[in-house]
Amino acid sequence: MSRGALLFAFNNEKYDYYAMAEYTAKRINHFLDLPVTIVTDEKSLSSKTNYDFDKVITVEADTTNKRDQATWINKGRYQAYQLSPYQETLLLDVDYVVNSDLLSKTFVVGDDFCCHDTTSFLMYPGAPQEILSSYSFKTLWATVVMFKKTDRARQIFECLEMIQKNYDHYANIHSFIAGVYRNDYALTLALRIANGHSLLPRDIIPWNLLHVGKNTQVYANNNTVYNTEYTVMFDNWKKGKIRKEYITIKDCDFHVMNKDIFVELMQ
Amino acid sequence: MDPDKLIKEAKARFEHKSAKAYLQEKYSNKLQIADQGGLWKADPQTITLLQSFNAKTVILVDTFGNVVEVDRKELLEKLKALYQYVMKEWHDELKELEGKR
Repeated sequence: MSRGALLFAFNNEKYDYYAMAEYTAKRINHFLDLPVTIVTDEKSLSSKTNYDFDKVITVEADTTNKRDQATWINKGRYQAYQLSPYQETLLLDVDYVVNSDLLSKTFVVGDDFCCHDTTSFLMYPGAPQEILSSYSFKTLWATVVMFKKTDRARQIFECLEMIQKNYDHYANIHSFIAGVYRNDYALTLALRIANGHSLLPRDIIPWNLLHVGKNTQVYANNNTVYNTEYTVMFDNWKKGKIRKEYITIKDCDFHVMNKDIFVELMQ
Repeated sequence: MDPDKLIKEAKARFEHKSAKAYLQEKYSNKLQIADQGGLWKADPQTITLLQSFNAKTVILVDTFGNVVEVDRKELLEKLKALYQYVMKEWHDELKELEGKR
């Protein structure tokens, strides 16, 4: 049974996603002992260094999505099922920092598909969960997805494609803003549709996705290649003043929402 | 950037509440184990329940709500070992963080 990780990385005006993918791939190799395939475009390949991915798959980048005055090439994630060379695939966002072997468990706990439905924020315990809209579902997260090559997993990705291609329609039904395409929202709807408009407990990774959110900085505690110790600093606004607070963490995976912070960690 | 220098310069304070929440998050994850066709949490309730039976096999509801027949002793030993291992790690890291200001 072949098993590996898949990363999608397309450079834009602001960020070198290919470099981020290389950084993440090395950590996946080291901590999870998995080969990594990258899905990218010819333009992003120019950032290639001496790191060799297991496979490099080039596709045409869909540049129709914009966020923060930049192109955000996140569409086309539905192709993961067809493009993955592995029977069992861990599909990760490139800004996920792997610091442990925790994600290996996803292959064992999930049937043929699983993702996160609950998040936690470092330095912000008890933060509310994101919902599509006031009258819709709690958001599922496309940051970490494990899937196996089965008919059901294929159907989930086909639904993802359908939703991406009819995003305005689904945004209208579920009352969320269609301006920026989000894989998290599309996955939230696709998984339910594929499951007959329900959510199966086994499709949910039984631990929370850990985010580094707003007003939070992360610093590596040392410069070793596979450092797993970090200082997390938070600007806590109290009575009109900022109070700097921090914690230290180790051997703990996290997802960095702010790409500038991720770029700093890479250095 | 040297985090120690940064903490000093920013006069940052160690946030014990957030640190405890992070530890809870991290080590709760580690208490999960897939075994004998089910997903189990090595928590006091499950361990106590397994200990309270004498039969060779018992039927339990796993984390996903599935009913699974398990070899009681085998699962009990695994959960106890995992619980002790994780609690030791948790305790050690907590002690390490408690000293911070």
